[in-house]
Amino acid sequence: MLPLSVKDDEYKPAKFNLLLKLSGWFRSILSDKTSRNLFFFLCLNLSFAFVELSYGIWSNSLGLISDSFHMFFDCTALLAGLAASVISRWRSNDSFSYGYVRAEVLAGFVNGLFLIFTAFFIFSEGVERALEPPDVHHDRLLPVSVAGLLVNLVGIFVFQHGGHGHSHGEEGHGHSHSLFNGSVNHGHSHGGHGPESKHGGHGHSHDGHEGHGHSHDEPHSHDELRTPGKGASKQILQGVLLHIIADTLGSVGVIISALLMQKYDLMIADPICSMLISLLIGVSVVPLLRESIGILMQRTPPSLDQALPECYQRVQQLQGVYNLQDPHFWTLCTDVYIGTIKLLVAPDADRRWILSQTHNVFTQAGVRQLYVQIDTAAM
Amino acid sequence: MEDKYSSNVLSGGKLGMVEVPNSRLTRYIVLLVVTKVLKALGIFESYDILKVVHIVQFIFILKLGSAVILLFFQKPFSSGKVISKRQWIKLLKHAVFSCVISLLGFFGLTLCGPLRTLLLFEHSDVVVVALLGVLFTSSGGGPSKTRGAALFIIAVICLLLFDNDDLMAKMAEHPEGHHDSALTHFLYTAIGFLGVADHKGGVVLLVASLLLKVGFHTASRKLSVEIGGSKRLYALDNLVSAIVLLPWVIVLSLTTDSKVESWSSLILPFGMIILSVTILEFYVEAICNTKMETPRCARYGAIALFLSALLLANFWTHPLTDQLRSMSKPPQQGSTEHVLSGGVIVSAIFFIMSSSILSSPSKKGQKGTLVGYSPEGTPLYNFMGDALQHTSQSLPRFIKDSLKQILEEYDSRQIFYFLCLNLAFTFVELFYGVWTNSLGLISDGFHMLFDCSALVLGLFAALMSRWKATRIFSYGYGRVEILSGFINGLFLMVIAFFVFVESVTRVLDPPNINTDMLTPVSVGGLLVNLVGICAFSHAHAHAHGGKTCPSNDHGHSHHGHSHSEHGHSHSEHGHSHGGHGHSHGGHGHSHGGTSGHGPPPGSGGGGMNANMRGVFLHVLADTLGSVGVIISTILIRQFGWLIADPICSLFIATLIFLSVIPLLKDACEVLLLRIPPEIEKELNSALEKVEKIEGVLSYRDSHFWRHSASIMAGTIHLQIMAGVVEQRIVQQVTAVLKDAGVNNLSVQVEKEAYFQHMSGLSTGFQEVLAMTQQMESMKYLNDGTCIM
Repeated sequence: MLPLSVKDDEYKPAKFNLLLKLSGWFRSILSDKTSRNLFFFLCLNLSFAFVELSYGIWSNSLGLISDSFHMFFDCTALLAGLAASVISRWRSNDSFSYGYVRAEVLAGFVNGLFLIFTAFFIFSEGVERALEPPDVHHDRLLPVSVAGLLVNLVGIFVFQHGGHGHSHGEEGHGHSHSLFNGSVNHGHSHGGHGPESKHGGHGHSHDGHEGHGHSHDEPHSHDELRTPGKGASKQILQGVLLHIIADTLGSVGVIISALLMQKYDLMIADPICSMLISLLIGVSVVPLLRESIGILMQRTPPSLDQALPECYQRVQQLQGVYNLQDPHFWTLCTDVYIGTIKLLVAPDADRRWILSQTHNVFTQAGVRQLYVQIDTAAM
Repeated sequence: MEDKYSSNVLSGGKLGMVEVPNSRLTRYIVLLVVTKVLKALGIFESYDILKVVHIVQFIFILKLGSAVILLFFQKPFSSGKVISKRQWIKLLKHAVFSCVISLLGFFGLTLCGPLRTLLLFEHSDVVVVALLGVLFTSSGGGPSKTRGAALFIIAVICLLLFDNDDLMAKMAEHPEGHHDSALTHFLYTAIGFLGVADHKGGVVLLVASLLLKVGFHTASRKLSVEIGGSKRLYALDNLVSAIVLLPWVIVLSLTTDSKVESWSSLILPFGMIILSVTILEFYVEAICNTKMETPRCARYGAIALFLSALLLANFWTHPLTDQLRSMSKPPQQGSTEHVLSGGVIVSAIFFIMSSSILSSPSKKGQKGTLVGYSPEGTPLYNFMGDALQHTSQSLPRFIKDSLKQILEEYDSRQIFYFLCLNLAFTFVELFYGVWTNSLGLISDGFHMLFDCSALVLGLFAALMSRWKATRIFSYGYGRVEILSGFINGLFLMVIAFFVFVESVTRVLDPPNINTDMLTPVSVGGLLVNLVGICAFSHAHAHAHGGKTCPSNDHGHSHHGHSHSEHGHSHSEHGHSHGGHGHSHGGHGHSHGGTSGHGPPPGSGGGGMNANMRGVFLHVLADTLGSVGVIISTILIRQFGWLIADPICSLFIATLIFLSVIPLLKDACEVLLLRIPPEIEKELNSALEKVEKIEGVLSYRDSHFWRHSASIMAGTIHLQIMAGVVEQRIVQQVTAVLKDAGVNNLSVQVEKEAYFQHMSGLSTGFQEVLAMTQQMESMKYLNDGTCIM
């Protein structure tokens, strides 16, 4: 009766010292490439926002001040990504028996939602302006939006470099090109009227999704069935790339509309541009949202869709297995799948053999955590 | 167009539509679109020309010109087989018919104007055939086709009834210029006899001639095969009809005096019309029909044509007519006739939709999913599951079903009624706003609509959470409720943030608020929201009282505070996306539950219905918002404290923020797969009990989480002694944990040796997650243990 339970609580420090905690967080942020990138980008963004804010206060420009608030809002997306990447590394405890890995998915989801909200707001604002073009003061529009674009380009570079360069090993960095839009769209907001400013899209890092340090980079040469999993992560990459492109187009759009307004006084260019941008954002977020909602709703992993029926068949062909019931398979976080099934077996079947065989079959399909409940059929 | 015959045979023979990648087709599509735009231009121009040229002369010139060009290209006499006498006769009939049809079509054009003609007359055969199929055969191709047909008919009716483009009075007198031949005069009087405006008669005429045209095309297919290709037929047909029309034209030009002074100025427009309307369109459509499937071609063509017609109708300024008229006679007041009207736009949209629906290939043979190939090589389809579900859902039936579902259950019924109330209020506000032309009311109405989206989300979630579990969503859709609560909470938070920012800027610089209209509107909103609060808090009580779950007494005494932005929005700067309000309820939520006695499993949840909570919070927020607006309005009016408004909203934003946090926290915990707090204690004691069961050595990897309000899932690995009957243990453990509330449990029982293997290899879940290598080794050893 030795091992009563393998759970260990001793990781919880007895006393919380704020300083200690902060430095611990800091260290854990810096220890991982994803969160480090996120952190630096967040800092860059925050400093941009602060510069904007202080300049706004100094020059007493309401537009700049409200724009910097929007920037702060955008930063929350980054912050969410960062927090998620830290939280997801916390150890599991009694209450959170799976640990906090889901935080990544959740952060991706939240960021996606934020993006959708923003896109919606921009869109409605754009419609409003298209009907009744306001008098935008475009004096300061261009410099600010170009600066925003620069900041975002840095962001893209950092994250894309990470994400694509080592595509597999490091699949994880959240591409949080978040600010991306955020800062850019602010461009608009510098219209003189504070309230009219449009909070631009913001960014978002769906680090959540991609994140995950544990990208299982080992090539499992021997299990063929795992390949679907990789395909899925590739899809994520594709989504990220799409998103980046949309964001870039967005910021370019703002600059173009600023130019158009300045040169030709085409006031309609601004609302049209922002509507286009919001549509792009909306479209590019949909795959991310769909995926994270699927995970949060315990959907059967799409990458296992093909493999599972085959596995069921193989298990049912084991000697002594009558039936397979209640199969539940779901994704804990990217590439970690958990499954439970119930097997109805003959009374004289070799349960241990069936158990290990079943584990074997599903492990090959990529399901790491499997719970097999074996019931004996009533004769 | 006759070329469809051959391509129809091809595409009809295929099982499903073979989708050629779009990229390869892009240039054809572009070509098609350009052609259609040109055609629209041509029709517009011919409308102008028809004002000065007699219709028969016009058609004659058209036919003659295209015949000359086609003869040049096709060389129907020098190439191909010789045409027999009988075929010549058929050709003659054919030509006469085509003359009649073009006569009718162009006469319709003079009556209706170019835009309406394009909308009505230029439908592709595929569309019309599908439409007729729906109307007159029993197997029309499913509900989607029926929908398309309905749209088509609605569009026609729209043109007939709601298109008040021409004033009746103006039409009462004959527009000079169109009716100088016996034929047109006859048609005109026939239409005038019916007592409708001439464009309405034109609509009927055009529909009739559209049907004729389609029938004619179908009939001419056989002839085109006999003659040797549709292109040759087309060339010959043009020639023959020009010859047929020749005597009439001669008689006409002898008997009537032409209104045209210089034919030379008409050469260019005629050339353009001939090229774009007849020649180019014919060839391009022939090419596109062979390269793409006919339906697709029809769809793109129709969309391009209608859109360009709409655009042109907007910008066409009769340059040609004005120019011609200035030579011939003083300009009439006709420049405003056949303008765009709401009815035309609506019907154009309907036409576009219906033609894209009707021209989409019927899905026969595509319902199943391809599962593989039989040994003989024939494809096997799987007709189970989703494919079957989607086939027979017609729209009205779907609405009826979902209404029934909504009304079935208490929660969704509440939301639904409240949504209706809210929408009604919104629309009243909008209409009143439009009527009195008050921007503030309108924008407030839109904000209300936006608020309704939260309700819609909640309603949808309440519905969806009752869906049955499927193969893909094996635990069912119960989580939708939690997700929707989460989204609503986030939503409120974002709004609170914006309200906060907004009010900070206003504190710095209080704007002048026009308070006149605020009070009645916000009082109305307050009343509506109060009703909502009553309904929902009742729902809470109900849910709690009625639905078991004794373990927690949630007080749920929410009180909210919210604020809404309505007030703000009326400031002069038109927007301020207002926040809305929201409030917090106290959330009694004391998950303090923990009453140690095992409660009955099942719906246990500490206010588990996150969905309802989210909706409730939203409504509360709105209520408090209107309260805040009223208070600040009073303050501003009585004391002139402009600062009251931003401070009020600051306060409200903070309250919203605080009140959403518990909801978000709960939802996050569920989504992060936390052990449900309200049964944590019971679970612990249950696990202790499990360990004490005879024969059980230990357990590991126990995970319990709430999936939805009614499903509590759990998994556990048990290690048992060698000689124990496993089935008994499984049953006991299941019973014990069921008492603790876990109703979806799977227990994996392992004998000692195996357990040591497994637990030695993966000491905890964290390691499995964190260290890939360990996972690898575990897998290898797993493989090794299979023989055990």
